[in-house]
Amino acid sequence: MLSTVLEQVVNGIVTGSVYAIVAVGMTMIFGVLRAINFAHGEYYMLGTFGAWFAVDYLGLSYEASIVVGILATIVVAYVVGQLVMRRMVGAPAESGVLATLGIALILQNAVIFVFGGGYKFFSGGYIEPISILGFSLAQQRILILVVCLVVFVGLELMVTYSRLGMAMRAVSQNVECCEVVGIDVPQVVLRTFILGAALAALSGVLTAPVNVSVYGGMGELITFKTLPIIIMGGLGNVRGTFFAAMILGIAESLVATYVGLQFRDTVGFATLILVLMWRPYGLFSTQARF
Amino acid sequence: MTVPLPLLEIKNLTKSYGAVKAVADVSIHIDRGEIAGLIGPNGSGKSTFFDCSTGLARPDAGTVILDGQDITGWSLNRIAREGRMLRSFQKTVTFKALDVEENLIIAGQMFTFPSIAATFGLGKRSRSRIDGLRERARELIKMAGLWDVRHQPAGNLSGGQQKLIQFASMLMPEPKLILLDEPMAGINPKIIERVVDTILYANRSLGVSFLVIEHNIDVVTSICQRVIVLDQGAKLVEGLPHDIVQDQRVREAYLGG
Amino acid sequence: MSLTETVQQARRRDLRIPLAAVLVVIALAAPYIGSRYVTHSLIIALIFMLPAHGLNLLVGYTGLLSLAQAAFFGIGAYTAGLLAVTYGTPFYVNLIAAGVVSGAIALPLGIPALRLRSTSFVMCTLGFVIIGQAISKNWVSLTRGDMGLSGIPKPYFELGPLSFSVSGTTNFYYLALAIGALATFAAWAIVRSPAGRNMVAIRENETLAESLGVPTWHYKLIVFMLSAVFAGIGGCLYAYYLTVVSPLTFQMYYSTTMLIIVLGGGAGMISGTVFGSLLFVGLTEALRITPELRMIAYGFCLLVLVFWFKKGFAPLINRFWNVIGGVK
Repeated sequence: MLSTVLEQVVNGIVTGSVYAIVAVGMTMIFGVLRAINFAHGEYYMLGTFGAWFAVDYLGLSYEASIVVGILATIVVAYVVGQLVMRRMVGAPAESGVLATLGIALILQNAVIFVFGGGYKFFSGGYIEPISILGFSLAQQRILILVVCLVVFVGLELMVTYSRLGMAMRAVSQNVECCEVVGIDVPQVVLRTFILGAALAALSGVLTAPVNVSVYGGMGELITFKTLPIIIMGGLGNVRGTFFAAMILGIAESLVATYVGLQFRDTVGFATLILVLMWRPYGLFSTQARF
Repeated sequence: MTVPLPLLEIKNLTKSYGAVKAVADVSIHIDRGEIAGLIGPNGSGKSTFFDCSTGLARPDAGTVILDGQDITGWSLNRIAREGRMLRSFQKTVTFKALDVEENLIIAGQMFTFPSIAATFGLGKRSRSRIDGLRERARELIKMAGLWDVRHQPAGNLSGGQQKLIQFASMLMPEPKLILLDEPMAGINPKIIERVVDTILYANRSLGVSFLVIEHNIDVVTSICQRVIVLDQGAKLVEGLPHDIVQDQRVREAYLGG
Repeated sequence: MSLTETVQQARRRDLRIPLAAVLVVIALAAPYIGSRYVTHSLIIALIFMLPAHGLNLLVGYTGLLSLAQAAFFGIGAYTAGLLAVTYGTPFYVNLIAAGVVSGAIALPLGIPALRLRSTSFVMCTLGFVIIGQAISKNWVSLTRGDMGLSGIPKPYFELGPLSFSVSGTTNFYYLALAIGALATFAAWAIVRSPAGRNMVAIRENETLAESLGVPTWHYKLIVFMLSAVFAGIGGCLYAYYLTVVSPLTFQMYYSTTMLIIVLGGGAGMISGTVFGSLLFVGLTEALRITPELRMIAYGFCLLVLVFWFKKGFAPLINRFWNVIGGVK
């Protein structure tokens, strides 16, 4: 009994890691743009499809497919960033919502159009289980955990010490001031966006061997999972996102086991709505003043 | 002999933001037909005091009594609608996409229609109410000197003209009391004169009382019958404009104590 | 009066009434002009026009961006479907019930959601769609889960001794046209009323409206509920047209479609919504564009509308209308 609970918690942490890597990019983009990227899950999907393509069509190894998936996503993100995300600087929140919804539609359906809407089988990765402390865990899951930790430590260091990290913090504080002191805000937005998209792709590529199935609608599902996470984690907050992702991952895993698998995908949004009800003004600005 | 009830009486109003006491225990009153001034250096709590009196913010303590009725904790729209106490904002605000006439009609609607349900009506009653409002709006537009631009979107007009629209809007509902937050800020002297004239006209001919926050001391001394000075969230002194200008404490407060 | 002026007057004859008459005739004769597939496309456009009108009240007039429209569309569809299949109640009862139930559910959902601002509100409304779909999938005893409700009968009217059932595409088209026309009139009446003016005031500047005595909170809630009523009625019609209701009625894609209709046609304009549903739903359906390509096109439309063509087609329609009316 206890061991099943523990096993579910461990599974939840792995799922949480997947979410965390995606969500952290989304929250950083919010930090610099003040806009929610409704297309963020699509980069996760693109990464997965890139890797699947590399393995299935090009016959590359899984290791190489990781690189292919991420590079392909970076190229797409660069184009989207140049054409769309840069324009969102200083635009009203509603424009951001609509524009990113549009991008999500385009990316998702372009992939379905090219590769078909059916489920694809992802072969590759390190799926042999190894046993640690009495648990049997696929190597791939351990890899996900390790990568997640590396990503977060890396981001923490980057945000604190690197030039881009400092510029990101500056932009998230005050856009006008940044323009005055000569920070190229659209450039910072573009770089943050590409970094976030690449992280989402990384998460997708790492999860593919575990999830096995690859399909066009998978990005939307991830977007819906990460939206609650970044809200709960406090928008723009990297560490908060990490913990919120872990909580959601564990909660989903427990709900799937003890309440019913079909309720798993609603945990996030149910939580989100409760959080929003609880602190409607704490999360965003208060009533407008003149 | 009975002392006439003041129109607005605010007792012991207090409001803190975190550890900062923005307004501390301020009590004032406005008499019927009076134009009172509220002055004080920047950050003295004038705007917070306004917000708490008009329902935009909720005071931590204190009572607001309008015309004998306790309106503490009422929302901004209820105070305006039921209390007929209106307020302006520091920044000029109008419904920018709508023309001048529509701006004024909106301002009068909630005072003409008895309920929200009635505003969904399209019948004869509803139309005649709107016609009445349009007539009144046109009168006020003429008075404010905006006749030629009455069909232009408010957003196309100059800051001063928008200020006049805002002012005329507040006169639509036949208010008892108007609180003006820096009406003269950022407008040219010609319009200042116009605004002063309008305030005096509203006061004398329409019987509207005023409480005015204003930095332009000439305007304050020329239109206000009484001036209240706030400093660091507390009432420093109140009295006749002439005396206030001479007051040593007020000078110290402004020059930085 | 000089001669030139008279000539100009003559040239600027008002063509609006004849044109409107032509449009009405085309609308009435459509099933006999086009193929059955065209009629089908027009029905779909008319059905989506209903929730779009509701959304236009919310987005275009009151300035609240919502994605919840598909949720109320689904609630209306399920209400009508359940009533028709379980209790066999007549069509017009179900139509009204679908509107009322959607509107009533919008009240408890709107009260907390409308306290949120901009992006939070959008996400909350998105949550309603997702949770609606989860409920329709999992409350199997009521909704039959993924199987959905099937066998919804043809709309059936009973007026005293007269009774007739609406069968066939052509008849359904007239039913949809009648309901669509009524809904368009209702939407027009709402925005033309003094309340409509207050809605625009809220969109333009909520705090200013509040300071002028407009109870903005009540108006937002009422408009949110009204938008749900429109969506519910649309959902009912959709259920009757397809004769089945499934959890797929709760789809983000439907909310996006309705948004495109409203924004593309021109937010804050009734004729824009009518035009938008014909263009974005009717035309894409009639051209038999594959769903993927259609959604890609929608995506590009959204981008274009947000960054380059902010007012949608509304100004173009307006200009055309004024030109044929002889107004410069």
